[in-house]
Amino acid sequence: MKYPMRTTGRALCFAAGLVLVSLFSGCDRQDAGEDEIVLKWPTIWVGKDSKAPMVEKLVAEFNEEHAGSIKVEIEPNPDYDGYRNKLNTAIASGQVPDIFVFNPDPTTFQYYEGDLLMDFSEDLKGSWGDTFVSGTIDAATKNEMVKSIPYEQAITPIWYNQALFDKAGIGSFPKTFDEFWAACDKLKAAGIVPTSQMTGGTNAWTSMLWYSHIVAGLGGPDVWKKPFSDPVFEKAAAILLHMYQDGNTTKDAVGGDAAVSGGHYLAGDTAIFINGPWYIGRVKSDAPEVYAHTKVTAAPQTPGGSSGAQIGFLLSNLAAAKTDDPTRRAAVISFMKWMTAPENIKRISMDSGSLFCVKFQVGDEAVDPLQKQFMEAAANATFITSHFQGNVTTDVAAEFGQALGKMVLGEAAPKEFVDQIIEATE
Amino acid sequence: MGRNRSPSLIADRAASLAKWLFLLFFLIITLFPLIWLVISSFKTNLEFQTKPFSIPELWQFANYINAVSISGLHLLFLHTIVVSFASTALNILAASMAAFVISREPFRGHETVFNIVVAGILVPVIALMVPYFRLISGLGLYDTLFGLIITYAAVSIPVSVFLIHGFMRSIPRELEEAAVIDGCSLAQRFTRVIFPLSRLGLVTAGTFVFLFSWNEFIYALLLTSSVKARTLQLGIRFFKSQFITDYTSMYAAIVLSIIPTIFVYILFHDKIIKGMTSGAVKG
Repeated sequence: MKYPMRTTGRALCFAAGLVLVSLFSGCDRQDAGEDEIVLKWPTIWVGKDSKAPMVEKLVAEFNEEHAGSIKVEIEPNPDYDGYRNKLNTAIASGQVPDIFVFNPDPTTFQYYEGDLLMDFSEDLKGSWGDTFVSGTIDAATKNEMVKSIPYEQAITPIWYNQALFDKAGIGSFPKTFDEFWAACDKLKAAGIVPTSQMTGGTNAWTSMLWYSHIVAGLGGPDVWKKPFSDPVFEKAAAILLHMYQDGNTTKDAVGGDAAVSGGHYLAGDTAIFINGPWYIGRVKSDAPEVYAHTKVTAAPQTPGGSSGAQIGFLLSNLAAAKTDDPTRRAAVISFMKWMTAPENIKRISMDSGSLFCVKFQVGDEAVDPLQKQFMEAAANATFITSHFQGNVTTDVAAEFGQALGKMVLGEAAPKEFVDQIIEATE
Repeated sequence: MGRNRSPSLIADRAASLAKWLFLLFFLIITLFPLIWLVISSFKTNLEFQTKPFSIPELWQFANYINAVSISGLHLLFLHTIVVSFASTALNILAASMAAFVISREPFRGHETVFNIVVAGILVPVIALMVPYFRLISGLGLYDTLFGLIITYAAVSIPVSVFLIHGFMRSIPRELEEAAVIDGCSLAQRFTRVIFPLSRLGLVTAGTFVFLFSWNEFIYALLLTSSVKARTLQLGIRFFKSQFITDYTSMYAAIVLSIIPTIFVYILFHDKIIKGMTSGAVKG
């Protein structure tokens, strides 16, 4: 049977209409009751993130407890850089998400200056504030305003593989840099590459952490208050450069990214590495033998410097959009208190291996041995200071890898490395 | 004579061999990343990180199961197909009408209008993020497939107008004049004469828009928030978190995502090449 053209046209229009209706159907917001407050939470703690399963569980439990009054909806954004771009765009457009993960650094702290974020300073003055680890609220305070709740923190000690150290005849991790270079020579003699390094990625993460450890050892807890023209930064660059020379790291470290740096440690090719507690899960699952022999410690003492420092920083805070609606504000506070309740923090910490800014008691539960070492490293640190990246804007952090690449390729001396950083800050 | 021919024959063969070696070299350079991607998608993460150029010791088909199950790839495939086809159709409709008026209807300043539209090619995507976010949110289209469709269709209009305009301008004016004598209106001149005769240009532009829509990531991330409006490129990022990346499952998802674009290219490659070259000659 042949349909006339007009009928076919109408049928096509009808089909197109149906498609359009289905395309717009994304608009059908929540089927929530009229009085229910829906809070959207675009978060990076989804997908493969180690905190994802427990975060999902905690949100589900919160929603169940507040059924009919508050509902938190997770909007998954696993791509970290994309997430930051999206947040920047949304905030620039004046449309702040109800709740979001705030990555504390000099760039994002600029969000504090406007009137778009909720200020929690009054709420934290009570018993809620007492649950946080000392100093973490101060670190999230700018101009007496706390526009983000300190949440996840990290320390990034030196990791080393004791089995490889034993193979090279090294009893314990070196205390000074002189001993460190001697240990590197022994490792090389045993056919083991001493350190994992990288100049690539967005921030040359592993090497940037090494640099931060050396700078902290040379300059003390207030080192980041000094200008980059201070001799400490050039001395630290010279030590970092040595880590790239004489076979002290792998050949692919120049241009290598986190996969290269971490991959060599996981494979047992390198003996020394740096990363945070979030990497525990990866070592445990991908390289159980390396995991079994991994120990963490402080960096060796720098010549003329101090020892026992650790690099630690606020990793992620929680922030929310400012609202004039007191009921909505109360809903946000209620959720923030739920997510930072010590018993919930304990669950998420035990499940993911991550460290948090809220104090909680560890009982008889089995704590991951490596996570326990992290906790001890933090407790035993002579002082904890933040890393290079946490003290500069995003563009300067990106310049670090570029400057490092030039230095290790012999195109720049340590002084020129520092000059390039100074130029970027200007 | 035989003696004279031999050196020339040898020279011809040497030249031919050099040509083929040259082509083979570039073939390897072109295909190597793709082959490496496919092989890597069958490795474990440790194997990938420690032996990036080896053959998998045990082929990990589970990576493909992960790719589909963790990110909900099948639904995202469907969304991407809908968005890519619909944005291509909408873009071609709008761009062809614009190109028709600019190229076939003489009016004062048509060159200026053309230059302004085409100048849009030079505007970087990142510069338009804030305005598009405000616009789509203001229209109530945030987190909808339709929001993505009109954004992709709009973003690609400059390049489509540029490509289609070249084809339409080259169509002999006599054909249109004959149609006018036969009683064709302006709309009929477009739909019955110029549009069908420009199909090579339309296919070329359409292929570009389709591939752009299929591969686009930034706007998809910016303008959607839930799984109900997400596309394939966002699904691929599900294997990457703040500090840890499941490279091999991500590569499996990438392999799956590029299969349709390869098919589209195989189906239309002759038209794309013809379109590009004939457009270039006709200016």
